Amino acid sequence: MLSIKNLHASVEDKEILKGINLEIKAGEVHAIMGPNGSGKSTLSQVLAGNEAFEVTSGEVTLNGENLLDLETEERAREGIFLAFQYPVEIPGVSNLQFLRTAVNAMRQHRGEEEMNAAEFMKLAREVSKQVDLDPSFLKRGVNEGFSGGEKKRNEILQALLLQPKLAILDETDSGLDIDALKVVSDGVNALRSEDRAILMVTHYQRLLNHIVPDYVHVLAGGRIIKSGGRELALELEEKGYGWLGIKDEEDAGN
Amino acid sequence: MKPVPKLSSAFLHAACDCMPEPLLALRKQRASALVDMPLPTRKTENWKYSAKYLKLSDDMAISLPADGKTGTSLAVPGYKVVFLNGVMIPEASEFPDLDGITIESFRDLNNDDATALSKKLGGTLDHDQAQFARLNGARFEDGLLIRLKPGAVLDQPLFIIHETHGDASGSAYPRVYVEAGANSQMTLVEEYTSGGEAPVLVGTVTEFDVADGANITSIRLNMEGENVQHIGATGVLQARSSRFESHCVGFGGPLRRHDLQVRLEGEGAETKLNGVVVTQGKQHYDNHTAIDHVAAHCNSEETYRNIAADKSHAVFNGRIHIHQDAQKSNADMNNKNLLLNSGAEIDTKPELEIYADDVKCAHGATIGQLDETSLFYLVSRGIGRRDANVLLTMAFINELVAQIPVEAVRETAQTRLNEFFDKTFEEA
Repeated sequence: MLSIKNLHASVEDKEILKGINLEIKAGEVHAIMGPNGSGKSTLSQVLAGNEAFEVTSGEVTLNGENLLDLETEERAREGIFLAFQYPVEIPGVSNLQFLRTAVNAMRQHRGEEEMNAAEFMKLAREVSKQVDLDPSFLKRGVNEGFSGGEKKRNEILQALLLQPKLAILDETDSGLDIDALKVVSDGVNALRSEDRAILMVTHYQRLLNHIVPDYVHVLAGGRIIKSGGRELALELEEKGYGWLGIKDEEDAGN
Repeated sequence: MKPVPKLSSAFLHAACDCMPEPLLALRKQRASALVDMPLPTRKTENWKYSAKYLKLSDDMAISLPADGKTGTSLAVPGYKVVFLNGVMIPEASEFPDLDGITIESFRDLNNDDATALSKKLGGTLDHDQAQFARLNGARFEDGLLIRLKPGAVLDQPLFIIHETHGDASGSAYPRVYVEAGANSQMTLVEEYTSGGEAPVLVGTVTEFDVADGANITSIRLNMEGENVQHIGATGVLQARSSRFESHCVGFGGPLRRHDLQVRLEGEGAETKLNGVVVTQGKQHYDNHTAIDHVAAHCNSEETYRNIAADKSHAVFNGRIHIHQDAQKSNADMNNKNLLLNSGAEIDTKPELEIYADDVKCAHGATIGQLDETSLFYLVSRGIGRRDANVLLTMAFINELVAQIPVEAVRETAQTRLNEFFDKTFEEA
């Protein structure tokens, strides 16, 4: 489904990604782990199409189509979804209006009829319950005044509504207490299906206890330096990133 | 040094003497004071950013005739008074006889009422700041006097549709005076619209004399066309424990100027001023507001938002004057501005003068662009660029539009805003 070949990307002329290679097939769940500053979030942002990052070489295809040629909104309509590490607060745009505009943009792209306000309200309420978010959050501004956990649940709510082909979860576990982690993980697990792939980007392996990946990759210095199965994450947990001869800036800082 | 330009004497002559004698006398007196009135230049402090948009010519001095047909057969959800080129058109107006409330054309006033009115007209305004209210004072040919007896409540909004038809060049001077008795209540909606294509000047004055405990809402919607230069002034006097609420929504034009002056003269008076301005193309809009806290224990809350696209220019000047005796005043002024293109210009200036020592006075002004991170977030969900831009721009003013207490006005404003978005954000 997703094929990344020798991807290089920079921000403000500083090269962050230095040749990423990754193949993800439909139905698979991949985890990318790595210390802070390794390029994990850059990879997520580049895949979603953030123009602040410049792709200097390499190739990314989604189901054979060149992803890098597409605008951000076109990538989303082709099925890329990024759950943000720091979801954006947009006061003045109601969550409901935002979600409905997004869902209808997708439906229009697929040649389906738009959902009217009543139909959409019903659907949104159901999905809110699934991520344990009170429906009153639908009427508030997008992420406005939401706690960290509520913001993350709102991201999963969006993924469930938009039903992407590839869901990229950027540090979705950060800032979550154990109950919220469970709710978010259940939401993500509900997304797992044969025709959908999930790419999780995470610093810690605790999320992987709840969402069990098929493959684990270690990203360091802008490259994937090791790949393996689930057991790789456990090994990292036990031995730390130092085991692979890389320095974790956060650990070093602490 | 260039000589200071003066108002052409052509502007001093009113066309018709069809009002009661006391009002004609007042007008004559005001006209004599207008002789050689200096026109604002960029060196005139309160016209610094706007003087260059003022383009008067002698043929604009002629009073526009009020005999054309009005375009307003439009139903409004309330009572309706139609003014054409500054003159009330009774056939187009619809309001019943109301208990304790009189709504009359200046032309229909008896001598006593006209005498009483002539002593009050203009009394709510500082004419040194709103210079062009003087021109209205010298030229008005009609007006609407609304009197609410103590305790009277107008059960539906009163809409005044001010139409200006410029089939040939000229000017119009609509005037409204509201005398709100103690504990009375009303919502006044003023809509300024226009037809024709000849360059015209509209110089308006609206005044509110708000007695103890009265509660008045004023909504002003400026939607005139590209041929209209509009210079308006609104003056408000507030007595003890009264409440005044203003919602101004303005769309730009070749020249748009509104002076809104509120004097809080009685203890416990409260005022809330909201304003939204959008400009595009080469349009202009200038809001000058002034709140005078004269008495103690008064509250004022002011929120204005400007959005300027293309090469347009919006101006906000907010003055708060807290007089020496106005202890325990609470004043809050906030102006946020959104520039949609690099060629657009917004000038904002708070002016605070505080002479009392026990007051709370907060002010804030910001100028920014649409937030790239928010835009990325929206498009990353499949929302198109145009829709994302519209959502974010609307988000900037949503709160103020939502507060307009008359649904029909919100709808009209939204329709016009959508036209603004259509012209400003093209489909990618």
